[in-house]
Amino acid sequence: MTELLNVTGLTTSFHTSRGRVQAVRGVDLTVKPGEILGIVGESGSGKSVTCMSILRLLKRQGRIEGGSAVFDGRDLMELDEDALTDLRGNEIGVIFQDPMSSLNPTLTVGEQVIETVLRHRNIGRRAARARAVELFEMVRIPSAATRVDAYPHEFSGGMRQRVMIAIALACEPKLLIADEPTTALDVTIQRQILSLIKELQGRLGMAVILITHDLGVIAETADRVMVMYGGMVMEEAPVAEIFALPRHPYTRGLMASIPDPRTAGEGRLSPIPGTPPDMSDPPKGCPFAPRCPVAMRVCAEEMPRLYEAGGPANRSRCWLMDEAAPARAPYNTEDAA
Amino acid sequence: MSLLQLEGLAQHFNVGGGLFSKPAKLRAVDGVTVSIQKGETLGLVGESGCGKSTLARSIIRLYEPTGGRVIFDGTDITHLSEAELRPFRRRIQMIFQDPLASLDGRMSVRELITEPLDILKIGTPRQRRERANELLETVGLSAAHAGRYPHEFSGGQRQRIGIARAIALDPDLVICDEPISALDVSIQAQVVNMLEDLQAKLGLTYLFITHDLSMVRHIADRIGVMYLGKLVELAPAAELYTRPRHPYTRLLLSAIPVPDPAVRKDAPPATDEVPSPLDLPSGCRFRTRCPLASEICAKIEPEPRDFGGGHLAACHHADESAPTTPITNPERENA
Repeated sequence: MTELLNVTGLTTSFHTSRGRVQAVRGVDLTVKPGEILGIVGESGSGKSVTCMSILRLLKRQGRIEGGSAVFDGRDLMELDEDALTDLRGNEIGVIFQDPMSSLNPTLTVGEQVIETVLRHRNIGRRAARARAVELFEMVRIPSAATRVDAYPHEFSGGMRQRVMIAIALACEPKLLIADEPTTALDVTIQRQILSLIKELQGRLGMAVILITHDLGVIAETADRVMVMYGGMVMEEAPVAEIFALPRHPYTRGLMASIPDPRTAGEGRLSPIPGTPPDMSDPPKGCPFAPRCPVAMRVCAEEMPRLYEAGGPANRSRCWLMDEAAPARAPYNTEDAA
Repeated sequence: MSLLQLEGLAQHFNVGGGLFSKPAKLRAVDGVTVSIQKGETLGLVGESGCGKSTLARSIIRLYEPTGGRVIFDGTDITHLSEAELRPFRRRIQMIFQDPLASLDGRMSVRELITEPLDILKIGTPRQRRERANELLETVGLSAAHAGRYPHEFSGGQRQRIGIARAIALDPDLVICDEPISALDVSIQAQVVNMLEDLQAKLGLTYLFITHDLSMVRHIADRIGVMYLGKLVELAPAAELYTRPRHPYTRLLLSAIPVPDPAVRKDAPPATDEVPSPLDLPSGCRFRTRCPLASEICAKIEPEPRDFGGGHLAACHHADESAPTTPITNPERENA
């Protein structure tokens, strides 16, 4: 299938008082129509900056220094501001972690949906309002017809996130970018928002990029997973495969460090030692090398490329995937260690 | 032996109200009875607004409890004066969620750690400095860090500084209020392991407050579940996850995202509208979201009942068998 979004070589830096912070360093990613791509990473891994760069919504200090992002035949990096405004909220919807700071507190929630619909659709106010009610019903806000006239502060956190989803989906986008959409929400609400996103994705046939730090959320929601660290893609694989056999030492470390709620209790946790790299002065070689339990001398010296890893859709940025590397289970061989 | 006993602890706040209108009563903590044994970790879970953090603040008297009693090591400290409270203050310490917000950015790490010792005039200045270096080693930092300032550290390192400060006075009880929520996933396990090591080494007792239902099962011996100011269930950790009695606990557990793509779950049918704590439902507070709610639930507030083995649940239907949640039964899922 042809890709809906094809990003190559995306490179973004922030110019701060502390110098140049290399937030995204050559990210390639693709999203197919109708799939959910999960991007997992810790703070500073570049996962959010990748998406903000694609949307060209970076803060002032941020600069896209290279790469392209072809969405449905157009390179987003080449579009002018008018064309981008037409695209955002219309063909690409976005939801963020904190719905309160994304909603205008002085307007009713309905007004904010109507605004989006009127901007992108050639219909009258009355029809736009009807559409707002319809959208509220779709995201299951109770008493939709009356609650469109309420203000954001009258809604709970979960209901506000539903409003954000209604706005993001108002124009039936081909792609929804959801940046930590449930991180600020309670676990029962999180479950409902994730189910809602999945259900609407299926019903509307849209693609989703879901950004999160939560491996549980990824496991339950994504079709394909991309793991980021130090501004780069470390590993990429279909969801079942990455959880069954994570190839990259970082992915393995991340999975080993979280307790499984079904069995947690016995034994000690296995944390990843050390701290993430300082991206104003990233390591010369693999960004994970200083914390990696199986690092070799080359890892600190030279950046590994993304190798194919056990399948056509699986990639791992690790020197152990090189044909010259020694066999080390389970990183580059299936044989038991 | 119990180190801390809460007996019907209540913390009500007056909200709003004006010249001619009566203020509304917010029952943030509404009669919580629980005790913590010396050397154990009691986990306290619940969703935002359930009163778990307020409970912690009432225990250390950041708030004056409006009802019930706090008994620490045999002494009722609920209404002690500030002077009478002083010897107890050093024995109960707290670790907060956001170490940057809880550490004064203008103080060096050494000053931050010795401040509690300075205030209580423990040791000579030189002994305090040595103690600071020793504490830094204990939490996995080094004496070389002592001259630096909080902003020079990562989130995980700052939390280590917060922990060093909390244990500087050799406390008995450490209240950990979401201590790992702000940390990166790969760092959380480092801090949790360290808390466990410190507990073994120093004989600490923890009250561990969190919304992370996976981590709490790992760290806690017993877990209490709070809902709208009430403790609705209390049980040994493994027992709570394998045989939850309260429908709210079941709802919470069924919502935990499991890091295994083979276990995809549907959303629970329950409504996500939590009632306002200013306008609580009659009877059982959970009945508006409860799949088992019946007539009696609207009339009579359920009292905690003992189901044996230290398992308490406050629900009229707690003895009815309910479908096991997927979270609790990995064998069945694999079958």
